[in-house]
Amino acid sequence: MARFRNKKKNVFAKNVLKKQPMMGVDHITGDKIPKSFVFSRGKLPPPLRQLQMDLRKLMLPYTALKLKEKKRNNLKDFLNVSGPMGVTHFLIVSKTESAPYLRVAKTPQGPTLTFKIHEYSLAADIAQSQLRPRCPQDLFKNSPLIVLSGFGTGDQHLKLTTVVFQNIFPAIDINTVKLSTCQRIVLLNYNKDTKLIDFRHYSIRLQPLGVSRKIRKVIQKHEVPDLRNLQDVSDFVTKAGYGSESEADDEAATVSLPTDLGRANRKSTQSAVRLQEIGPRMTLQLVKVEEGLCSGSVIFNEGGVSDAKKKQETKQVEDEDDEVSEDDREEEEEEEEEEVEMEEN
Amino acid sequence: MAHDMQTGVKKRKFGHGNPKFQNTRKGKKFQRGGSGQDDVRAKKMDPKTKKFFQKRIRDYNSDDDDGSHEEQEKVHGDAAGPVVRKYERVKRKNEKAGGTGMDFSDDEMDEKEEDSGEEIEVSEDEDGEIQPGVLRFSEGCKAFRLAFKKLTKKTGSADEDILGPVLKDQKKLVAEKLAEVDAEQKIKSVAKKKKHLVGEKGHVKLVNLDSHEKSLIGIATKGVVKLFNAVNKAQHAQKGLNPGRFKDEKVIKKRRKEAFFSALGQSSSKQVGSQPKVDSSSGTGSADAPAWAPLRDNYMLANSKKKDWDKMQETTTDADDFGLPAGADSSSDDDE
Repeated sequence: MARFRNKKKNVFAKNVLKKQPMMGVDHITGDKIPKSFVFSRGKLPPPLRQLQMDLRKLMLPYTALKLKEKKRNNLKDFLNVSGPMGVTHFLIVSKTESAPYLRVAKTPQGPTLTFKIHEYSLAADIAQSQLRPRCPQDLFKNSPLIVLSGFGTGDQHLKLTTVVFQNIFPAIDINTVKLSTCQRIVLLNYNKDTKLIDFRHYSIRLQPLGVSRKIRKVIQKHEVPDLRNLQDVSDFVTKAGYGSESEADDEAATVSLPTDLGRANRKSTQSAVRLQEIGPRMTLQLVKVEEGLCSGSVIFNEGGVSDAKKKQETKQVEDEDDEVSEDDREEEEEEEEEEVEMEEN
Repeated sequence: MAHDMQTGVKKRKFGHGNPKFQNTRKGKKFQRGGSGQDDVRAKKMDPKTKKFFQKRIRDYNSDDDDGSHEEQEKVHGDAAGPVVRKYERVKRKNEKAGGTGMDFSDDEMDEKEEDSGEEIEVSEDEDGEIQPGVLRFSEGCKAFRLAFKKLTKKTGSADEDILGPVLKDQKKLVAEKLAEVDAEQKIKSVAKKKKHLVGEKGHVKLVNLDSHEKSLIGIATKGVVKLFNAVNKAQHAQKGLNPGRFKDEKVIKKRRKEAFFSALGQSSSKQVGSQPKVDSSSGTGSADAPAWAPLRDNYMLANSKKKDWDKMQETTTDADDFGLPAGADSSSDDDE
């Protein structure tokens, strides 16, 4: 028995990043850095496995990219490991006959948000659809920014969603942050009408404004430009070529930088912000909010009314893809009974 | 002898279209002429060997008491089939006609002599008796030839299938078997497809950039611009000061402290303003979800950033539903 334990621990110990001397604390701001595990419950089909991998990449650098999971690993194993490792969030991918599901849970006590994945596209699909997929080397070396939009409707479960997702990535201190570390952005857009959440992942690119494309290329690349077709060197500068593809909407997307950023974007010059999708892309629906970690009473249910009946139904659904240990289940049921009594009273 | 067999096989193959071959086949009536030719060639042979062969032939004939070789052949034919015999003979004749017979070894000559000799004998000795038998034999041979030709023609002309004339009869069987395998595979593939479909559920591969995506990119861009502008504003104050240098660091610290205290005065009032909102909302939440309050407490305990949470609400409500953690961080909480 003890031997098994050690084995499990070793598996995870290999995979956790140990970057800072002070574990889980930002060395500048002193904030606690949230870390995450992305894993699956049950057997996933290949595309979903890929989605899980994409999610891990998205959660970089404070996640276990090569987290090994075995069939016999249950939620408690991950939970036991998460404490010493400073893992604060679980992203759990699972699948039922009807649809794949994503659960975002805070450790160790919850809450757990269960999302139904209506549609998803892998990073590979998105890269395939693009003419020039972009992936700079240090793209995944810093955690992404997060933008939550449309969540301010005042609903409790939406508020909770915003809070959970904000804390999933390390907070940014405006005074000390380097803009060169802001390479990616995760967008969560809530649609009031459809009640769906669009989950997008973009890479951020800055381009100097008011510079012709040719010159920009010369600056960005370390290559000698091709001057064969030109009469004079001055033609290279004066001949503008075709204009930028979206010069018109640049007004809203311009920023002036406090520091130099790369070779092209100089300090206190105008730069245009360009986003390019890197995936994965998901359309989520918040189905359920649970109090505990994949257990506990249901705070919010998509059905609307938190009837005991409905709860049981959802639990049955969940039983298919979830393997909460027996103790948890019992506790859950007890709590549920109490709640029912409360309601009757 | 082996060499002979090989050439013989080849010849047989050739023989189908050979006019001479057909000539010889037309019947024993022409055998005279053929045998005459043989005789001419025989004359050319060494008389000694000829004598020897003749003797052998006689001996051979004398073994059967009738002396008719044709009948002997028939007897043999029961076992090997007269047709085969006939073919053999035809082949030999063909060989002779082709002129390859000149350099045949003695063994071969022996056989040929045998053939020609017997033919001569047959025609000379028992002409009246054997002739109908020969005819019958030749007729039978013709029928076989026709049938064979038909078969070869069929397979040759109509390139219907790989199955030969023999396998053709089993065509039905083979087809059945193939159909069975096909059906099996179909069932398998259907099952596989179904599994694949279940696995692919919700997977959208065709990613197109429509207006919705563009609007999403616009929203994200707005967020980024907001953050960058905020960072620019905050870090503009430290312009010219190197945080690495001790002297500058002191100045920066001082400024931040001032900013913090100024912010503290504002934020305290803001917190007072925002706090009831949370409470009221939680109150409404408790109406339909009885377990909400414990959750919130739990969350507040678990999450160390209470300030962020409040600020976050502000940004979401005030600023067009935007929430940036960057915006949430006030300029104060790092140095304290």
